[in-house]
Amino acid sequence: MSFLRRKFYSYYLNPRIEFPPRFDRREYAFILFNEDTMHRHISFSSRNDILSYLKMNVPAHAYYSSAYYRHPSAERMMDKEWMGADLIFDLDADHLPNARNLSYEEALKEVKEELKKLLSFLMEDFGFGERDIKLYFSGGRGYHCHVCNEKVLELGGQERREVVDYITARGLDIKKVMGEKNLPAEKFSGRFSIKTIKINPNQGGWQGRIARAIIDFFKRIKNMEGEDAIKELVKIEGIGEKTARAIYDALTDERMKRIEAGLLDQSTEFRKIAKPLVTKLAVSLHSEADEPVTADIKRLIRLPGSLHGKTGLRVTGIDIKKIDDFDPLTDAVVFGENSVKVNVLKKMEITMMENHFKIEKGEAKLPEYLAVFLVARGLAEVRPP
Amino acid sequence: MKEAKEWVKEQKVSIEEILFDDLYERARERGVERVRQAVDEGIVREVAMVSEADCIMEIFSYPIARMIVASVESDYLVRRYALAEAKKAYESMKNEEGSFIDYLAREMGVEVSGNEIYFTDYLKYAPTWDINWKLVNREMRKGYVLLSKSEVARLIQEAIRKKIYNELAFAFAPPEVKKVFKDEILGIKNKVIFKEEKRKVGEVKEEGFPPCIKNLIAAVKAGINVPHVGRFTLVTFLNAVGMDIEEILKIFASSPDFNAEKTRYQIEHITGRISGTVYATPKCDTIRTWGLCYPDEYCRNIRHPLFYYRRRARK
Repeated sequence: MSFLRRKFYSYYLNPRIEFPPRFDRREYAFILFNEDTMHRHISFSSRNDILSYLKMNVPAHAYYSSAYYRHPSAERMMDKEWMGADLIFDLDADHLPNARNLSYEEALKEVKEELKKLLSFLMEDFGFGERDIKLYFSGGRGYHCHVCNEKVLELGGQERREVVDYITARGLDIKKVMGEKNLPAEKFSGRFSIKTIKINPNQGGWQGRIARAIIDFFKRIKNMEGEDAIKELVKIEGIGEKTARAIYDALTDERMKRIEAGLLDQSTEFRKIAKPLVTKLAVSLHSEADEPVTADIKRLIRLPGSLHGKTGLRVTGIDIKKIDDFDPLTDAVVFGENSVKVNVLKKMEITMMENHFKIEKGEAKLPEYLAVFLVARGLAEVRPP
Repeated sequence: MKEAKEWVKEQKVSIEEILFDDLYERARERGVERVRQAVDEGIVREVAMVSEADCIMEIFSYPIARMIVASVESDYLVRRYALAEAKKAYESMKNEEGSFIDYLAREMGVEVSGNEIYFTDYLKYAPTWDINWKLVNREMRKGYVLLSKSEVARLIQEAIRKKIYNELAFAFAPPEVKKVFKDEILGIKNKVIFKEEKRKVGEVKEEGFPPCIKNLIAAVKAGINVPHVGRFTLVTFLNAVGMDIEEILKIFASSPDFNAEKTRYQIEHITGRISGTVYATPKCDTIRTWGLCYPDEYCRNIRHPLFYYRRRARK
């Protein structure tokens, strides 16, 4: 038995599994060590059966279906008879635009920021309560957010896609969301009617989000030194130095007051400014090429409490109130301190269980939890004893 | 509606009476008229109701119309009739107080409070392929989507249409209905067949489709879940080159979440069979921003997928 499998076995002797709601209506799937194929269409009628399976087979990866089926172990999808599915969001470092240059720890921090944005959409806009939402560290490079609420169970693929589009701002029509109107002439110049946008930071939905972001943006610009402000403004697509200067010079106290009251003149410029703000507010849920998995009504998701075969970390639940405190490299660790002799393949630094390690290439004695993590990630090897 | 149903039950009027008794002659005439208007005009017109008798005839005409529709045994008619009745409901909602809309909403099981509707119900009934109806462009707070009164009415119209369709799609009428309305049913059947025939048009050369469309077809046929805008693009294109609804529907049939009735409704909407608005095929720029463009060598200098087809299909 390989080192990793032995360690996983020791965990699965007495694992802390969180069973999904209606666990007996779900399909389960497993990938075993040294196998590429997935064992699918498995169902369990008791929790104990799940535990026995884990102990017997010691899988490297364990999944269950977000969907509920009448016959979860049927081999053909159509025979399973779909009954509904939880709404699942998969936030993964691989979906971030700059993920490649980040370390494991940094990448996870970035994903956590996306997770917080997602939560604000789910709770403020969609009105889900803490009871409806469960958060998990995926064991890998991301977080999963499960929404279990009877109202969302029956949403079909296209309806789920609308939810995803909302959160990722796909198809957002800035013109429509910002609401343009021509105000009566005397309000501004006395002579002309000027195209003015009226935004309202107290509005719900994207309207309010964009309004608040624009007002904050101008406050920030106003507080900057001239040249810094120009630099910031020309970063925006479609705004040249001349326009940037004009915008900055026009930001008088009087004008700032109008902006804070939600009155924006020169509508086209504001639309340009709003664009990158929308990108920043939206959740990066998937890369362009990737199919958004949330819209999939029959996807597989990692079983909470199981171990991730590529890290040895546990798929771990997170209290919504304590997101900031959650540290995957401490809170998702299940292995102990016993020292293990390994051959490290690459020099690296890492903080785990609040200990900082500087590891050189070559033989080293490391605590078991770190050894498991490195071996699982392919950064170290253990010679058979 | 439910109330009318209850009322009809309470009257203890038998089907025989409705079908044969002289007293209900006017209800029978109006029942036939409802179906004819649905076929000819696509909407059931409201009638002036002055006396109590008018009201009673109107109420009884509805189950009669439904029995006639069921007797014709045409899915096309069921769809057209369901829509026409739903449109009638929409028209009356426009002229009524908000409380009437609330009442109808509750009947349909739609969660509405004032002008706010819960987002799952919104998604069930809103034509979200239209950019103006996309959820992301709507104001939503704590799960409720803010709408105008006429938009709420529009969603309830769709809920009613669905309900009537689902009730009639598998309904059987008592055999007497076929006897009583023999001539009327024959007339309606002929019209329906004629209308369906008219929608079939010329030959489509698939080899002339641009790569974006070919890709979409391949994806849909392979059962890959294609984004909304992709489906939209595909339907508008196939419609523009003259494919009929049945053929378009066949392409979508292998989609993982295929729902024949829903897909048909969306296709009919996009192609103007329902709304009267024929949605245009998006131009290349738009398709590109959606990430659906996979140009080949013939795409150079082409700005619209239909130009590509017209150029290639001629050869």
